[in-house]
Amino acid sequence: MDPIEISYGQLLIGLVFIATAGGASLFLKLGLERDIIWGTVRTFAQLFLMGYILVYIFRMDSAAIILLIFTGMILFAALTIRGRVQEKGVPYLIPTFISMFMSYMLVTIVVTYFVINVEPWYEPRYFIPLGGMIIGNSMSAIAISLERIFSDIRKRRDEIELYLCLGARHGEATGDIVRESVKAGMIPSINAMMAVGIVFLPGMMTGQIIAGADPVTSIKYQIVVMLMLVGSTAIGSIIIAFIVRNLCFTKAEQLKI
Amino acid sequence: MLDAGELAVISGPSGSGKSTLLRLFNRLLDPGKGEILYNGRPLAGYGVVELRRDIYYLQQAPVMIQKTVRDNLLLPFRFRAAKKDTLPPDDEKLLKLLERFKLSGVTLEDDATRMSIGQKQRLAFIRAMLLAPQVMLLDEPMSSLDPVSRAVVRENVERMATGEGTAIILVMHYNFASSVARTRRYHMENGVISDSQ
Repeated sequence: MDPIEISYGQLLIGLVFIATAGGASLFLKLGLERDIIWGTVRTFAQLFLMGYILVYIFRMDSAAIILLIFTGMILFAALTIRGRVQEKGVPYLIPTFISMFMSYMLVTIVVTYFVINVEPWYEPRYFIPLGGMIIGNSMSAIAISLERIFSDIRKRRDEIELYLCLGARHGEATGDIVRESVKAGMIPSINAMMAVGIVFLPGMMTGQIIAGADPVTSIKYQIVVMLMLVGSTAIGSIIIAFIVRNLCFTKAEQLKI
Repeated sequence: MLDAGELAVISGPSGSGKSTLLRLFNRLLDPGKGEILYNGRPLAGYGVVELRRDIYYLQQAPVMIQKTVRDNLLLPFRFRAAKKDTLPPDDEKLLKLLERFKLSGVTLEDDATRMSIGQKQRLAFIRAMLLAPQVMLLDEPMSSLDPVSRAVVRENVERMATGEGTAIILVMHYNFASSVARTRRYHMENGVISDSQ
């Protein structure tokens, strides 16, 4: 069963929702009008662009190009995180990129190669959407971990310095802080496993069902996605927390921020 | 220059750089220029972890971790840098110290973070004593104490200097009447230190 096509006219009806949000912003003086309009323009532009690019990508048969595109997506996600996390003292962009790259690449390849068993493993129709879902969802986990570790180090400065004065290495002085930061990054994806199917129906599953796929097949895919999100947020949060923690200290075990 | 068993008292208004100076001595900070020597060698020539256990900086605001009084007092023995052959003190010794510092109402099982600021200041002082450093950097160690506890801390500062030969640098914004024979007095203002003898 093919899905019902949405015409461009019908798509524009969706702008009613934007007008509602914009009206609310004007009425309540929220000052969000510009962001709402800019966000709408970007949503249309980015998704259409991605759609047309995907048509080309799906025809490609080169692992190198697919991985390059995936790397570009991760880089963009890392830049987005930099816009969100307000920290000037420590250069964390490259570590963020590295931890996302390692975690997402590993998880996506395991899923396409071992779980779904796609031939070849980089088959773009699977690799790009699955990888994109990991990036989109666990990007916020990395941002949460980063925000948490920076704010905790600043808040618990006296305690960290007490440990350092007593002869602790920075690892000993910040053990709790790193644990809390990793935990904060992991909890949302664990909570999502509790609520899925009851509180919310995930976009991928509903999308497949609307597109006419067998609901049971869609559910299996969704389960794989939920599991890989837990894995990727765990790996990503752990790597970023450890790297960034180390960057906050000098070689002489002094706090930098 | 400061020798073992000597006491240096640095006074001066707040914001004059006294705490910053102390933080240079245990390398929580490094000087932009110049050098600090310890036993004739520059501080940077020592392993920083061992150096900090030798030259201990007692912070102005007493910090207690969210654990019991016992855990807080034994904190110096918890790190890898703690020498394997030094046994942590037993409860009996800890209780004696609590008594000596007029903390008889406190038990070792109490949550240290729930103590009053004056109690925390004395606990932090005991914790520093247990580490038995060669040099003790004291940053306003009596700022939150009543006259009785203040006298106890003063007595113990003097005892460390004369009895145990600890070199002590004490930062206060008011005068410290010391009975330590070898006491030097300095005054600090706007980051400049001067001899006030």
